[in-house]
Amino acid sequence: MTPDELKAAVRTRPRLVDGAMGTQLMARGLPSGACGELWNVEHPDRVAAIHRDYCQAGCDWIITNTFGGSSASLERHGLADRAAELNRAAARLAREALDDHVVVLGDIGPFGGFLEPYGEMAPERLLEVFSEQAAALAEGGADAFIIETMADTRELQIAVQAARQAGNKAVIATYAFDKSADGSLRTMMGTTVDEAIATAIEAGADMVGANCGTSLSLDDYVQLAEQLVAAAGQTPVILEPNAGAPQNVDGQLVYPATPEAMAEIVPRLLAAGVRAIGGCCGTTPDHLRAMRDALDRYISALEPS
Amino acid sequence: MQDLQALTEAIKVGNRADATRITQEHIDAGTPARDILDALIAGMDDVGRRFKANEIFVPEVLIAARAMKESMERLEPLLVKEGIKPEFTAVIGTVQGDLHDIGKNLVAMMWRGANIGVIDLGTNVQPDKFVQAVQEHGAKLVGLSALLTTTMPAMQTTIDAIRSAGLGDVKVVIGGAPVTQDFADRIGADGYAPDAATAVEVAKKVVAV
Repeated sequence: MTPDELKAAVRTRPRLVDGAMGTQLMARGLPSGACGELWNVEHPDRVAAIHRDYCQAGCDWIITNTFGGSSASLERHGLADRAAELNRAAARLAREALDDHVVVLGDIGPFGGFLEPYGEMAPERLLEVFSEQAAALAEGGADAFIIETMADTRELQIAVQAARQAGNKAVIATYAFDKSADGSLRTMMGTTVDEAIATAIEAGADMVGANCGTSLSLDDYVQLAEQLVAAAGQTPVILEPNAGAPQNVDGQLVYPATPEAMAEIVPRLLAAGVRAIGGCCGTTPDHLRAMRDALDRYISALEPS
Repeated sequence: MQDLQALTEAIKVGNRADATRITQEHIDAGTPARDILDALIAGMDDVGRRFKANEIFVPEVLIAARAMKESMERLEPLLVKEGIKPEFTAVIGTVQGDLHDIGKNLVAMMWRGANIGVIDLGTNVQPDKFVQAVQEHGAKLVGLSALLTTTMPAMQTTIDAIRSAGLGDVKVVIGGAPVTQDFADRIGADGYAPDAATAVEVAKKVVAV
């Protein structure tokens, strides 16, 4: 999917992106703390089954199982030298599992630390890290890229640059925003929605927005959507909310939003101008199925009868 | 030579060149280690206060913490010589099954900046490792971090392991993006900190120094 194709696709109709991956892997037996990306080669059938579940729920865009797939992130599991292999396998298995009309987005997540001068990572080195991941995702057949859960605008810029260099494929870039003491939505690094989105667009992202976030309610996500759309101008906006803010239920922290509750915010997000909606933490194929219905109802209500 | 107030200011703005220089000048001039330490702590205390109020954010904390760390490295031999010890020792780690460490590292920085000794066990730490470390270092406090809701049960398991190990009066403070006070109460933690700055207050409160 080229940048022009992405723009045309979201202009035609809003798109549904998939939901959470990690919890789906765990539901299929991935032990807590184990490397989910390793399953792209060890249990490709199970990863493919998750992709197919989301596809059957009605998702248009499916995200590869490579959120922690950069060599810097895999380092924590002692698997840094397998980054290219795991990313290639992830894109390939997704592409092979899904029909041609489904778009496979190669996922790039944060490397897990801080860039200089706040941390030890040099920008040049991070570009190499993300470039290796992006190239492997492209080689495996990813149609476009999604850079997710970023907090540092510089890290996002470097990831966009790396994805850009991996071919003429659309690049989507999203940040994680939290609510600060004064009520403003900012990344962990303190960057406002306006600043963050301006930087992403300047870096060359074709679609911008947000995913995840710390303890945002569904209403907060609607507010975030409005701010994102205002900040993005002509650039289309994507939002992948969590299933609400975690709550303590019988000694377990759970994401409380039901599929019905998630479906209810879909028309509100679309009315705010969001052109692609997915789910982050706490979402399941059931959530996405309900969101699909809500999205379809919204579209048909707009069409002249 | 600039006075100790200038040292506090250098920490507040994260100017490590000034902070280490002024620290060294005071060491060379024979300023008591306790006074230098207090000036450094005052700087981090201010950083913590502004971080909690969202006047500053993670980058500013990291820069200040690095200035603090490098100044402390200069000061360390003098602290040892003058017999000045941390207020108490804390063991910190991200619980089993969770590999996220940014929040845990921030708390470790803030605790060190408040003159709490910190033994950092890293990420994906098994309950018995916490128990061992508490015994080995005579820790009075354990800090448990987790980012994933799926690893929250490991907080309970770790607290249970600490309680049943008969370690004496060791307190447990927990934190992490999805953690709430309600959850902390539920699993029997002694304290909950919503952010790294509050973690200092909570640590001191539960250990009651």
